[in-house]
Amino acid sequence: MSADYADLCSALLEQCFGKVVQAVADCLFSANTRTLSQIVSSTKLSRKEVTLALAVLIKFRLVNFEPSMINAYLPEYSLKREDIICLLRYSRYIHLVQSKYGSIGASIAEELLNSGSDTATSILVKCLTNGENKSETAENYRDIFHKMITDHYIIKTPELITNEDQDELIPKFLTTECDFFVPPIIDLQLLTKIQSGEASVENAQDSAMVWNLNYDRFHQEFRDDVMKLAVERKLGENAAECFRFILKIMYNTTDPWQRVSFLTYIFVHKRLMIVALQRASNQVTFGEIKQAIEKKSKNLDLMKHLDQYIALITDDSLGFLRKVGDMGGGQYVVDMERAFESLAFACVESVITERFGSKAARIFRVIRFKKFIEQEDLQKEAMIPAKEAKSLAYNLFQEQFIHVRVIKKAGGGGSGPAKAFYLFQIKTKDTVRMLLDVCYKALYNIIRRSNYEKSEHKGLIEKSQRLDSIVETMKERGESEDYIAEIVETFTPPECEILNKVKHRIKTLSKAELTLDDTIFLLQMYQHHCTMLPTGIQKFK
Amino acid sequence: MAAEIAQLLLSVIQGIPGGATNDDLNKALSDMPAATRVEGLNILLQQGGIEVLKKGEKLIYRAKDPQKKSALPKDADNEEKVVYSIVEEGGNKGIWIRDIRIKSNLNMTQLNKILKNLETKKLIKAVKSVNASKKKVYMLYNLEADRSVTGGAWYQDQDFEVEFVDVLNQQCLRFLQMKRETAEKKRDGPLAFKQMSCCSVKDVHKFISDLGISKVNLDEDDLETILKTVVYDGNAERILQSDGAYVYRAVNMPLPAPGLVQMPCGICPVIKNCSDCGDVTAINCQYMKDWLD
Repeated sequence: MSADYADLCSALLEQCFGKVVQAVADCLFSANTRTLSQIVSSTKLSRKEVTLALAVLIKFRLVNFEPSMINAYLPEYSLKREDIICLLRYSRYIHLVQSKYGSIGASIAEELLNSGSDTATSILVKCLTNGENKSETAENYRDIFHKMITDHYIIKTPELITNEDQDELIPKFLTTECDFFVPPIIDLQLLTKIQSGEASVENAQDSAMVWNLNYDRFHQEFRDDVMKLAVERKLGENAAECFRFILKIMYNTTDPWQRVSFLTYIFVHKRLMIVALQRASNQVTFGEIKQAIEKKSKNLDLMKHLDQYIALITDDSLGFLRKVGDMGGGQYVVDMERAFESLAFACVESVITERFGSKAARIFRVIRFKKFIEQEDLQKEAMIPAKEAKSLAYNLFQEQFIHVRVIKKAGGGGSGPAKAFYLFQIKTKDTVRMLLDVCYKALYNIIRRSNYEKSEHKGLIEKSQRLDSIVETMKERGESEDYIAEIVETFTPPECEILNKVKHRIKTLSKAELTLDDTIFLLQMYQHHCTMLPTGIQKFK
Repeated sequence: MAAEIAQLLLSVIQGIPGGATNDDLNKALSDMPAATRVEGLNILLQQGGIEVLKKGEKLIYRAKDPQKKSALPKDADNEEKVVYSIVEEGGNKGIWIRDIRIKSNLNMTQLNKILKNLETKKLIKAVKSVNASKKKVYMLYNLEADRSVTGGAWYQDQDFEVEFVDVLNQQCLRFLQMKRETAEKKRDGPLAFKQMSCCSVKDVHKFISDLGISKVNLDEDDLETILKTVVYDGNAERILQSDGAYVYRAVNMPLPAPGLVQMPCGICPVIKNCSDCGDVTAINCQYMKDWLD
C-alpha cells in the first residue's frame, strides 16, 4: 500500500459516499484495526456519524469487524483496502452482466451495486419498480437471478448466527462454503403483493439471506479476456478460441485464483521440510479439449488443426501453456505465472516506449534477455551509440524501471579505488509496483481534475440542468413551442460553447479512467500470480 | 669461427621444436666449452635468429621462424627492435602506448621518438580505437585492425553510424513482415504458417545484399546483430531450431497500448513531483490542459 493508493482510495470514497465516510475510511486506512471510540476521537466526528459511515462501509463490504484480542466485547474495525478500487469497476461489472444476461441481469447487478448488499426479494422489488424494462415478468427476473448465482456472479454474504442466548455482543457469521451459491426461494406472489403495496419487504422469508456481487468471478472473467486478447493478437482468432476452451476445462478442476508457486513448511519427524506446491493449474488433456471443442464450437478450421493450434500456444514465447505429459494425447497446464509475467513485461515495455522512446525499450529488452549486463556490453548489444545508450539507461535507472547491482571485487586493500562491476538488471516486482503507483497517482489526478472541472463550472452546469428540467415540465404542460424556444435561448451561445467544452473534458477524463483501470488490473494480476503480496483476491470473502 | 659456432648451435636449436635448454645443448655439443657456447648464443640473439624464454628456473632457446623474421631494416637500433617486437606481439588488436612503455622500460620521450620513427618508415601504424576515442593503439603496418578496435561495419572512422543501423533494422523488419504476409495468404494451417514466416539469417543476408543499400560488405554475423536489435525492439522473435541455428519471425505485440500511456500522466516526466500542493499538480498541469483541449 502506498501513499498514492491511499490518496486514490480517499478520493474514490469521497466520490461515492461523501466526506464523512471518506474521513472514517482515511482513519482506518492508516491503521490495521481501530475501535469505534478511536475512530471518533481521531476523526473528530460525532459518534452517530461514524457509526453511520461504518454501517455504509460494512454494507458495501469495505470494512470488516472482529472482536478485539483483549476485550471480546469490543469490536475492532479494519478497512479492506484492496477492495476499494473495485468501486471504480462498477460500470465494467454491469457491462459484463449486460453482455451475458441481457438488460434484466444488468438491472439486477445495478441494484445490487447501488445497495452494496441486499436480500433477494428487496433487489427484485427494486428492479421491478425502477427497472427500465417493466414489461418483464417477475419470473424472468427470478430466473436470471438464480442463474447468476449458479454461475457464481452473485454470492451470499455469510449468514448471521442468531443465538437465543445473546452472550456475545459482536455478531458472528456462519461461513460454510457449500452454502454460498445455493439459490434462495423467492416468493413471486409476495413480490406482486409488495409491488401493489399490499405487503412490505420485511414480510419476506429470506430477510436473513443477503446477497452481493462476487467480484472475484468478474475479475476471473476480465483476466480470461486479457489472456484471450493476448493470444488473439499474437496467434490469431482460432488460437484464442482454442485457449478459451482450455481455460474453461481448466476451471473444472482448478481454483481460478490459485496462487502460484507457494511454499509450505511442514514438520516431518521434527524436521522442517519445504514442499513446493504445484506451480500451475491441474492438467488438461488433449482429449478433453478436443471433446469440448467438437461439442460446442462450429469452427471447422480450429477442429481440423487443433493439435497445431495447441502446439502453437505451447511453443509461443508468452508461455501461457506448458506441456507436461503424453497421457490422453498430451497433457497441458496453464501457467498463469509465466503468462502474467510476459504480459506485465509487455505493458512495462510499451510504457517505456511511449515515455522514453523505442531505443529505451530496446535497452530494457536487452537487459531483460541478458539478465545482468554491463554498460559497455549493453550499447554493443543494442547497437546504440555509447552516449545515447548511457543516457537512456541512466534515465531508466533514475525512473526505477531498471536497477543496478554492484558486484565488488574482493581485496584491493585500502590503496586505490575499489574495483567493482556495475551490472544493470530488472527487478520485475519492483518495477511493476512502481508502475502501479504511477497508475494510482494518474487515476487520482483524473478524479481530482474532473472534480475541479465540475466545481469550476458549477454554476453553468447547474443552470443548464435547471433549464432542462424547466423545459421538460413546460413540454409536459403543453406550452407553446415559441415560448419554450425563448426559454432555451436564455442559455447564450458562449455559455453553450463552454458547457460543451467542459462536458467533452469530463467525458475524456472518465474514458481515461476506464482505460487506466485496464492497466491497473493487468498489473494487479501480475502481483497476484507472480508475487506473494496481498491482493485482496481470496476465496469467498 | 664464431659464425660457425652460431650456425652449429642454431641447427641444434632448430632440431628441437619446443626450444632447447642448456642441458640439451650440452648433450648435443658436448665438446664445446661453455664460454664459446655463450658467445655463439649471443651472436644468434643479436641476429634475431633465436629467442630466449624462461621456463621455471631454466632458460630455453627457441629458433625464430625465419619467415617471420622482422621486417626491420638492418640499421634499426636496439630500442627500435624492442619496441617493434612488442608491437608485433600485440597482433591485430593493437597495443596501447602505455603498455609499450611498461614492457619496454623506455622513457616517454624516447618511446615517442621511436614510435614516430617507425611510423614514418611505415613499419607500424596508429589506429584509433572505437571504445575510447582518445586511446590510440599501435600495430604492424600491414595488419588489418581487429573488429573490436574498429567496431566492424558499423563504424565510420570512430563514429557509430546510427542511421545506417536504423535503416538496416527497418529493412530487416520489413523483410520479416513481408515474409509473414505472404505466409498468411497461403492457408495451410497454423504450424505451416509459422514455419513459413520464419527466416534464417541467410535469407535476410541475401535480401539485404540484393537490396544494395549497403556500400560496406556485410557478412551474416553483422546481420545477426541487426536482427537481434529487431528482436530487442519487440517486433520479432528469435527461435532456436533443432540444429542449433536461430530463425527469426515477425510478431505482434501481445497487448494494445496500455491505458496508462493514453493519458499524460503515463508519460509525464515530472510525475514524481506531482502532488496536491506545490508547482506540479493535476489542476494546473499543462500536459493535462493540452490533452483535454
